[in-house]
Amino acid sequence: MPQASTISVLVVDDQLTMRALIRNALQQIGFKDIREAPDGEEALKNLLAKPANLVISDFNMPKMDGLALLRAVRSHPPIRQTAFVMLTGRADRELVQRAVQFGVNNYCVKPFTVQGLREKIEQVFGPLT
Amino acid sequence: MMQFSHNDDPERAIKVHVTQGESHVTTDPQVVMTTVLGSCIAACIRDPQAGVGGMNHFLLPDSGDGRTGGDAVRYGAYAMEVLINDLLKKGARRERMEAKIFGGAKLFDGLSDVGASNAAFAERFLRDEGIPIVSSSTGGVSARRVEFWPTSGRVRQRLVAVDNAPQDVRRPTPAPMPAAASGDVDLF
Repeated sequence: MPQASTISVLVVDDQLTMRALIRNALQQIGFKDIREAPDGEEALKNLLAKPANLVISDFNMPKMDGLALLRAVRSHPPIRQTAFVMLTGRADRELVQRAVQFGVNNYCVKPFTVQGLREKIEQVFGPLT
Repeated sequence: MMQFSHNDDPERAIKVHVTQGESHVTTDPQVVMTTVLGSCIAACIRDPQAGVGGMNHFLLPDSGDGRTGGDAVRYGAYAMEVLINDLLKKGARRERMEAKIFGGAKLFDGLSDVGASNAAFAERFLRDEGIPIVSSSTGGVSARRVEFWPTSGRVRQRLVAVDNAPQDVRRPTPAPMPAAASGDVDLF
């Protein structure tokens, strides 16, 4: 059983409030190593400089959206294995299908609950302690 | 003689009523967005340069002690995000956005002032996101009837006595916050 505290997470969202809320939810789950980026471009730079185990990314963002970030992550060998959970505003079938094509590990519909986010992450990593 | 621009002409105005849980964005200068607020909040945000604006209408679930809990704030942040994202899609730029906020009244004496919590949330959200609040009317003990012209930014507000407010304004219940799994696309 993986320990949440040993999993490093990069939270990507253009809204400061949403990043803070996701960080807060992750901390409640037990994550400790949490970093943030305001858009896909910054996130990619961040990951290439220091890989993370998990990316939790919004879809709608300036410069590089969540889907473009996912594609970029999967095309860079050093970080291509990074677990990737997409946050979507609604259950957008087309977006989710495209994300699946590009190798997303899971997705979570906003507004999420802490338990809902935990379940989505556990579907990727297994039960967290 | 008073002159009216065409969007003041009630014959030509297109009224869009925004109810709780909804968000609407337009570039059409003929559109007037209307809503009636009790303890709910409506944020009216626009980009004057792009000529696009919109309104949302939300009520944070009350944690029961007068403050709003984590899930409530996530719900509110989502309501704001939907409006902002729809504005961005129609050509708005975040750095040019300006906001007006309305609502958050305390219509009844009670243990908690959910209206104040809602107003505080909206103010903090906009401040944190760097979107200036150019005018606001929040709090008080009256319901509000608000009309917003999204492309010009004009707002007309009328206070409504509680007894004359629609039933859903007098006794609002927050739109249910969807569970994370609800509405999922079944792909995994």
